[in-house]
Amino acid sequence: MPARKDRKTSKQAKEKSESLVVSRRAFLGVTAAAGAAIAASHVIKRPGIVSALSQQETTEGVITEKWVVTSCLNCPTRCATKVRVVNGKAVRIAENPLSKVSEGKLCPRSHVGLQVLYDPDRVKSPLKRTNPQKGKDVDPGWVPLSWDEALGEVTRRLKALRDRDEAHKLAVFCGLNSISNDDLIRRFADAYGTPNVVAADSLENEAEKSGQWMADGNYVHSAYDLGQTNYILAFGASVVESQKPLARNLRMWGKIRRERPNRAKVVVIDPRYSVTAAKADLWIPIKPGTDGALALAMANVIISEGLYDANFVSNWTSGFEQYKDMVLSQYAPERVAEITGVPAEVIKRIATEFAQTKPAIAWRGRGATCWPDGSYASFAIFCLNALAGSIDIPGGVIYQEYPKYKEMPVVVEDGVAEAGKAKPSLDSDRDGRAPMAGISANRVADSILKGSPYPVEVAIGCNSNFNMSAPSSSRWDEAMAKLPFYVHVGPAITEMAVFADLVLPACTFLEEWGYDHCPPGSGFAEMKIKQPAVERLYDSRPIADVVFGLAQRLGGTVAHSFDGIGDNTEGFVKYRTSAVMPWAEFRDQGVWVGTKYEFYKYDRVFKTPSKKFEFYSGNMDAVLKGSDSAGCLPCYKEAKFLGDEKTYPLMLATYAPLLDIENGNQNYPWAQEIYMVLHGQGWSNFIEMNSETAHGLGIKDGDMVWVESPFGKVKGKARVFQGIHPEVVAIANGQGHWACGRWAKGMGVSPNSILGVDYDRLSGQSAFFNTRVKVYKA
Amino acid sequence: MARWGMVIDLDKCTGCQACTIACKEENNVPYGSPYENIRRLAPYWNKVIAASEGEYPSLNIEMIPMPCMHCDNPPCVQVCPAKATYLREDGIVVQNFRRCIGCKYCIAACPYGVRNHNYKEQEEHPYNRPDLPPDRSVMGPWPFPHRTHGVVEKCTFCFHRIDQGLKEGKRIGIDVVPACVEACPTEARFFGDLKEPNSHVSRLLATRGSFVLREEMGTRPKVHYLHK
Repeated sequence: MPARKDRKTSKQAKEKSESLVVSRRAFLGVTAAAGAAIAASHVIKRPGIVSALSQQETTEGVITEKWVVTSCLNCPTRCATKVRVVNGKAVRIAENPLSKVSEGKLCPRSHVGLQVLYDPDRVKSPLKRTNPQKGKDVDPGWVPLSWDEALGEVTRRLKALRDRDEAHKLAVFCGLNSISNDDLIRRFADAYGTPNVVAADSLENEAEKSGQWMADGNYVHSAYDLGQTNYILAFGASVVESQKPLARNLRMWGKIRRERPNRAKVVVIDPRYSVTAAKADLWIPIKPGTDGALALAMANVIISEGLYDANFVSNWTSGFEQYKDMVLSQYAPERVAEITGVPAEVIKRIATEFAQTKPAIAWRGRGATCWPDGSYASFAIFCLNALAGSIDIPGGVIYQEYPKYKEMPVVVEDGVAEAGKAKPSLDSDRDGRAPMAGISANRVADSILKGSPYPVEVAIGCNSNFNMSAPSSSRWDEAMAKLPFYVHVGPAITEMAVFADLVLPACTFLEEWGYDHCPPGSGFAEMKIKQPAVERLYDSRPIADVVFGLAQRLGGTVAHSFDGIGDNTEGFVKYRTSAVMPWAEFRDQGVWVGTKYEFYKYDRVFKTPSKKFEFYSGNMDAVLKGSDSAGCLPCYKEAKFLGDEKTYPLMLATYAPLLDIENGNQNYPWAQEIYMVLHGQGWSNFIEMNSETAHGLGIKDGDMVWVESPFGKVKGKARVFQGIHPEVVAIANGQGHWACGRWAKGMGVSPNSILGVDYDRLSGQSAFFNTRVKVYKA
Repeated sequence: MARWGMVIDLDKCTGCQACTIACKEENNVPYGSPYENIRRLAPYWNKVIAASEGEYPSLNIEMIPMPCMHCDNPPCVQVCPAKATYLREDGIVVQNFRRCIGCKYCIAACPYGVRNHNYKEQEEHPYNRPDLPPDRSVMGPWPFPHRTHGVVEKCTFCFHRIDQGLKEGKRIGIDVVPACVEACPTEARFFGDLKEPNSHVSRLLATRGSFVLREEMGTRPKVHYLHK
């Protein structure tokens, strides 16, 4: 067999050498230029291979190559990249040295972009469902159809809704999209007249934002000046695994460890020994859900020992006296030691170190905030930064700036759009609400199932995959099956797409135009371009094209709203970005970097009634209308768990490993085969348990076990190790796909499928950690 | 003649595995499958391993990126019956695919487990790219456009980059580095001449505590690790 294959290979080689056109001399001349210019195209010839491998087979042929500057979209960090394209095929993704966010470095997710582009299981053409039955194990009976037919069908449905004055019955689901596509999708929803744009962001990030909003009035992800800090206290934050901006975090990690005279100290507070904990100086396993109490006990120590930054506190904060009375009276370290399981002397030591090492950051992550009342834990932890005076200083909390894109003209509205947007949104039955919080994504599944406040008639999903990423994902299976008409726009048949009536093959980020900026983290603004590195594969189209196309076909005010903003996807990007950077320059360099970040803007950054940092939240007071003064202070409330402690003795924790590609798909062998770095295995995830707990249950490493919650059960491979709290079972996210493709389907388990449904009261964010489980041998 | 070596700073390394993927991207190393993963048959020229010690709550898991150690006294070279693997004058241990008979003695002899047997058929797998991955204008000719079935493969320190860089008079270790060093986002990996006392790698080894893996085997590796 091998001999025959070899012959074939050398035949290919011969065929290639016959198409040789450029001489060796010409090659040498041109390659010198190739090194100098980015995004330039050349025809070159490969020279013969010399030295040690001279006997080896060589191939020769005509090679055109170019480097295209663009940016990544495998996670919300959206790093600037450049792509090497040889003979029209992308072969390498490298860093764009002009990017300042990650100082020209990339995380491994960016490299996986090649396999996102060349995923063999991508959708090849628009598909229509022929089987009216929808379900997890039901074959949709896809038949291909043309773009014209597909868009015509969507338009017909959308028009019918508007004709009936029911524009609000359209729901738009957004997964991870470029900023430009996101802007267009939201504009479309606005012009069409629906209040229901449901973003994946509200699954995991809202409690962090609302915690900061309570303290300083900014409803944003917190940004930290990681590169200049000397002390990091990470509450459930996987700084070098999943916290954004990831590539910057990695680069800065190298910097704070060994590229300056003083090495920063990192303390990780997490029930699970994460990769960040492995790389930190100290790991403190904490009882899940008690991070807020720990932060308040640390505040107790810092205040009672007089270690806080008196200057900042007296000049730029308000409500300190109420806060002080509260932490001193309620959160003595000894009491909190019982709550958290962290010894009082450790709390005292860490608090002292944190307050005395300047600048210091208290960083809160998903593990601390994705809880019922996570907003208050988030608020409590964020307040530590103010006590240490680490607000808007080098090495402290910073306030992200963004590029100032050209403003689009106001959307043209007709009566239908106005009436539609005046309707309550799909999550309107939620209780408390921060005024700026978006739609609580996970509630939408229940709204669809109950048909309340009104039934959803048409839904459009752009790269969304709530059937994997939302807690209690089986609810989404039912909800999607119930939808009368669902259009999925994305490059692959993900779990959500299985329920679609129409699948529109969107191209990947390496084939389309767009602009993007980095999430909070760098401080200064940075804008990056997306431009097609290769020709679009198959019959795919950019999401922007789909939106423009639909607007055009709908006509009327919807079409008018898209007039004069560039007319097509490239034109739109040019229209929005030219105000920031000349188009030719932007295409050539790929990155625009804003002015240097300015610190100490105390007179501008606080968006609170007192124009200061508030330990007693005036914003919250306005929401509560003065009815609950305790509700305006950070506090710890014991988390209510779903499931009875006797039947379900363990707590389930989920986490995102670094190679969890965040586009809703995982069909990428490079990421899959090294998925679980701490366990040295890939293509799966594990039921991670403490060895003592496992021993008590008679479970050995590698056994197949059931994890059962009140809401379902999954069967996976047990991983018994030392790095986890004895009362916790951890399962990594990103696996357990039942669609997506050959390299994702059937690998590992999805912890989200057995989680219960709960929310952070204030922000409507899903709670991920308060489900109890039991584990037994399969 | 230089003596190429690598220094990996375990204090800066975050175990992100960008090196592993960048190596596969550069050297056209095929990806594995779930079956190969469990049987430890999947090919890697660079892999991050995790070594655990201690008990809850005071455990320590060390993540160690493992390229070929390019030993000065390489056991693989001694056992090879076909003289297919040898130590170059500049200290790089290379594998001649033409001579290799696929007997796997070297795999058994290597104390670091960094050698792989390529048992993959060319055309049956989508990994085979007939184009040229690395930037040859900077890095030199691409050594492995086609892979050879049934031979042993290993990390080459990206010698195609080094050889080309030297020809063009570039500074090795500064302008030209192996793909894994280039891709490392924390800048934890350094490459250079261990014989030159002023090279960055030599200075790091002189100023920081370092170790090599399995020193007791007497293999004299040229990949050094800096302590946390």
